[in-house]
Amino acid sequence: MSTPDLQVTRSRADVLHGPTLGTRLRRVRAVAGNALGELYKSKTALLGATMLVILIALCILTPYIARYDPIKTNYRIRLQPPSEAHYFGTDRFGRDVYSRVLWAGRRLVSIAVLSVGIALLLGVPLGILSGYYGGWTDTLVMRFVDGLLAFPGLLLYLLFVTLAKEWKLEGIWVDVVLIMALAIAAMPEFARLSRGTALTERQKEYVEAAQVMGEAGFRTAMAQIFPNCVSPLIVNATVRLGFVILIVAALSYLGLGTPPPTPDWGSDLRAAQDQMETIPMLAVFPGLAICYAVLSFNLFGDGLRDILDPRTSER
Amino acid sequence: MLVYTIRRLLQLIPVLFVLTVVVFLFVQALPGDVIDTLMGGEEDLDDPEIRAAMEHELGLDKPIVIQYFVWLGNVLQGHLGKSAVSKRPVSVELLEGIPATVYLAVVGIGFSLIIAVPLGTIAAVKRNSPIDYTAQLTSLAGISIPEFWFAIMSVLIFGLWLGWFPTSGYASPFDDLGKSIHHLILPALAVGFRQAAFTTRLTRSSMLDETNKEYVDTARSLGFPESKVIYKYTLRNALIPTVTISGLQLANLLGGTVVLETIFAWPGIGRAIFEAIINQDFPLIQAGILVLGTIVVLTNLTVDLLYRVLNPRVQLGA
Repeated sequence: MSTPDLQVTRSRADVLHGPTLGTRLRRVRAVAGNALGELYKSKTALLGATMLVILIALCILTPYIARYDPIKTNYRIRLQPPSEAHYFGTDRFGRDVYSRVLWAGRRLVSIAVLSVGIALLLGVPLGILSGYYGGWTDTLVMRFVDGLLAFPGLLLYLLFVTLAKEWKLEGIWVDVVLIMALAIAAMPEFARLSRGTALTERQKEYVEAAQVMGEAGFRTAMAQIFPNCVSPLIVNATVRLGFVILIVAALSYLGLGTPPPTPDWGSDLRAAQDQMETIPMLAVFPGLAICYAVLSFNLFGDGLRDILDPRTSER
Repeated sequence: MLVYTIRRLLQLIPVLFVLTVVVFLFVQALPGDVIDTLMGGEEDLDDPEIRAAMEHELGLDKPIVIQYFVWLGNVLQGHLGKSAVSKRPVSVELLEGIPATVYLAVVGIGFSLIIAVPLGTIAAVKRNSPIDYTAQLTSLAGISIPEFWFAIMSVLIFGLWLGWFPTSGYASPFDDLGKSIHHLILPALAVGFRQAAFTTRLTRSSMLDETNKEYVDTARSLGFPESKVIYKYTLRNALIPTVTISGLQLANLLGGTVVLETIFAWPGIGRAIFEAIINQDFPLIQAGILVLGTIVVLTNLTVDLLYRVLNPRVQLGA
């Protein structure tokens, strides 16, 4: 696993023109190979990665392995217990719970990935620039971020969701509003993280060197400082993905997410509650699905933290 | 310390500014007329004269920036408006919810500390032992289980099947303590379970940090018994972050128990806001979020200042 290319050496040409495509490819390959090697060192990360791969595979394969239409009702087979034909049984509209759990997972994971992705796109440049330039930019950005953090728990989402409801948004637009709300709520954390790195990095020689060589401030900030933020960001983004799934499920549990009949772990749980005394199994599967998804993100994030942060991995 | 406190208080201003602007813009962004939104259901709204007078009173005939300051002035004087549903002042509605919410949050956090501190400490002291792995795994599972699912399952098992506890409702501890505790157990369990998972992880890792420090080696080399080293010196220092984070979580819980309060029909602020959303009671939503946000910001500040009192080593400039 020892590849000299792994050390992020920056020649003068590198700083001025950026590495060549060949060097870049080699570097990516080395890092990827190295990552696999590291993964084996942490049991937590390996378990998390395995669970995640299964989760993502299930999401991608949903159209092929879900055996029934998740929305079409069939009253002749209402509320059946788990069987060979319906692995998780059927709900009160005669819909196959197994298929619904799968489709809901596909939707939830996509929402989580999109919202965290947008949050990274918004938060990271904001944080880096604010840490790099300091002064008024920094004060302004950070106070704004603090203000966003003043909304505890679900409150910020509740505002957005109420707006979506009042504007009578439908279908995809509800999801768009939800994704934006989740992104805005996740942004402060990423901004703070990358700002912290930018603050320490901007005093280092290589940044000064780039500046002396006449690199524009913005370019230096993004090209030189960003790579240093990557590992804490990956860890945080992973854990955030699990958290987002919890929030979306909680909102739709409250009846404030995408309305039925769209399959959703939260709203299906809510519906299952009505039959809880007679068929408790219905409430079990969507709940277990949430636990599995969130746990796999948390495990993987935890393991990654051990690998990427040498201080904690000594434990 | 005084300078730091003053600086932190000044920093509150922009934070509260963002909070108020967002809450203010929320009502502006709703479809329809602001007067209808805020006064919904009032009888004489159709009278154009009264309408105009009201518009003037709320400053709606002025530019939006002025409107914001008029509104802010009203808020600062405690005029949060009237609930569109019950017609009572919003402040009264919210104040009624505070005792139940605080009761649940405090007992829940207390509950989590009782579980988490010993568990986290033992896990750190007996590192890599079966106890440690069990603690780590349970706490990881704990932060992955959605609290509402945990709540539903506990209602199912302890409420419906075993019939040990009531599944919903609230009784004030001042009226009937026994009944109150009986109603509190399931909700507090649901709050405490998730918090305990966080706190166990935190206690474990700060204990590990602390036992690596030099003063611990010194104490050991001086021949102090291990129990004294751990429980008298290390634990005390390790608990500082635990206490701080629990304080911050308490702040979060004051606004974040919407789901649990709804499941257990717990008459707190969270449920009040949720019901306001269902009933389209916008003055109540607006005020509720504003009040909760302010409580959270102030609690965070208090905890932060307390942290510096508890742990003088923290640099005040940071």
